[in-house]
Amino acid sequence: MTSMIELIDVHKSFDSLEVLKGVNLTVVKKEVVVVIGPSGSGKSTMLRCINGLEPILKGKVIIEGEDLHGPHTDPNRIRQRIGMVFQSFNLFPHKDALHNVMMAPLKVQKKPKAEAEQIAREQLCQVGLAEKMHAYPDELSGGQQQRVAIARALAMKPDMMLFDEVTSALDPELVAEVLGVMQGLAESGMTMVVVTHEMGFAREVGTRLIFMDGGVIVEEGDPREMIPNPKEPRTQKFLSMVL
Amino acid sequence: MNAFFNGEIFKDSLWLLVKTLPTVFEVLVLGLICAWAWGLALSLIRLSRFRALRYLAGAYIDLFRGLPLLLLFIFIYYGLPHAGLKLNALSSGVLGIALCYGAYSAEIFRAGIQAIAKGQTEAARSLGMTHGQAMRYVILPQAVKLVVPPLTNELIAMIKDTSLMSVIAVPELLFRAKEKMGVVANSTPLTVAALIYIVFTIPLIRVAARMESKRRKRRPGGKPPAGITPEAGIADAQLYDADIAAQLPKGGYG
Repeated sequence: MTSMIELIDVHKSFDSLEVLKGVNLTVVKKEVVVVIGPSGSGKSTMLRCINGLEPILKGKVIIEGEDLHGPHTDPNRIRQRIGMVFQSFNLFPHKDALHNVMMAPLKVQKKPKAEAEQIAREQLCQVGLAEKMHAYPDELSGGQQQRVAIARALAMKPDMMLFDEVTSALDPELVAEVLGVMQGLAESGMTMVVVTHEMGFAREVGTRLIFMDGGVIVEEGDPREMIPNPKEPRTQKFLSMVL
Repeated sequence: MNAFFNGEIFKDSLWLLVKTLPTVFEVLVLGLICAWAWGLALSLIRLSRFRALRYLAGAYIDLFRGLPLLLLFIFIYYGLPHAGLKLNALSSGVLGIALCYGAYSAEIFRAGIQAIAKGQTEAARSLGMTHGQAMRYVILPQAVKLVVPPLTNELIAMIKDTSLMSVIAVPELLFRAKEKMGVVANSTPLTVAALIYIVFTIPLIRVAARMESKRRKRRPGGKPPAGITPEAGIADAQLYDADIAAQLPKGGYG
């Protein structure tokens, strides 16, 4: 088993507010780690520390054996291998779906235009948006935008994917189409860390469930065992509220 | 009435003043290019991660927003020669405009860049883009659209401020009008100059106003794309609209 992500005693503060108080986490290849917890528990922050969007105060972030904050590490190069999808989609509004997806292969990986476009078309077909290649973000529904965002991240052929509450901004009837794409991705063997409130997804797709509260990992385990029988009182309280 | 609108003098000075327009345009175009390029560079420095440079750019912007342009013109044209640096009137004008309006433009560009949602930078960086790539391919193309109306307003102010160059003997509109006034002992040349300024500024004022009202209509008021909850979509747009308004420099430029 190769370790894809290793967080070692990661601390993070926003000014005087300590958000992560020593997080340790190892994610191995093909794992689907689902992270749950109350708002303010630090789960999104943890996710953003994995690809270095947030600088950390103390500790280590190791991606596929490379220290993200090492003196000779180029974080931009490491980020190319970590796809990320956001709650608010963050599509580039000045580009159509196709160009959203092909921008990074073209500009970051410096692939020839024809190849980048080919990749983008494949990825958009994969998420079921073959018909929407030339639609601009504001012409797409939330669910469609989020699927473009997933395609955009996958176009870089990342080794792992991070999902930050990607269905929280969607109308209920649009949640399923996005979760469906994520489930397909998990089944194809993608290593994933998913911050979500979708307990059904956690149970059916997650290989490990992590409950965070107050900036630490409180409990982790197999979602099929942990959801019905949480051990920690804080997990019990949280699950009883969301289920 | 005859003192301000004498038919004979009107005809005379109209031609005289129109002849100055190439000079005015030359200063304006060169000044505009220099001011906007300098302003964009300053805004990028102001937002860079190098603290010392950030501080310097901020100090420059404050200083040149705080100085009257008239003083700047006089300093460059009459002051610098004492230090051995002699510029001709036209170059002094361009330099003054570039220095002063560079500072204003920098604030406009900064507001435009900062009004682009933080999520855009994050999405770009998460794809492996460097800071420079994210700016170039994601942030600036969007910011440029936001700053067109305020930059148009700036252009209007700049057109009016070319009249300040009359004190450094740039043969522009006001300079020639004043000359002529002395010769004919009548105010009509000034009326002509006023009309010429207005011919150029009023259409621009209308254009800027139209762009602004179009933007207001399109952004927060428009129909939200299906599937975005109000919190995620609309609130964002309103927030960033308010943001850019709040960050733009207030009041006149001269």
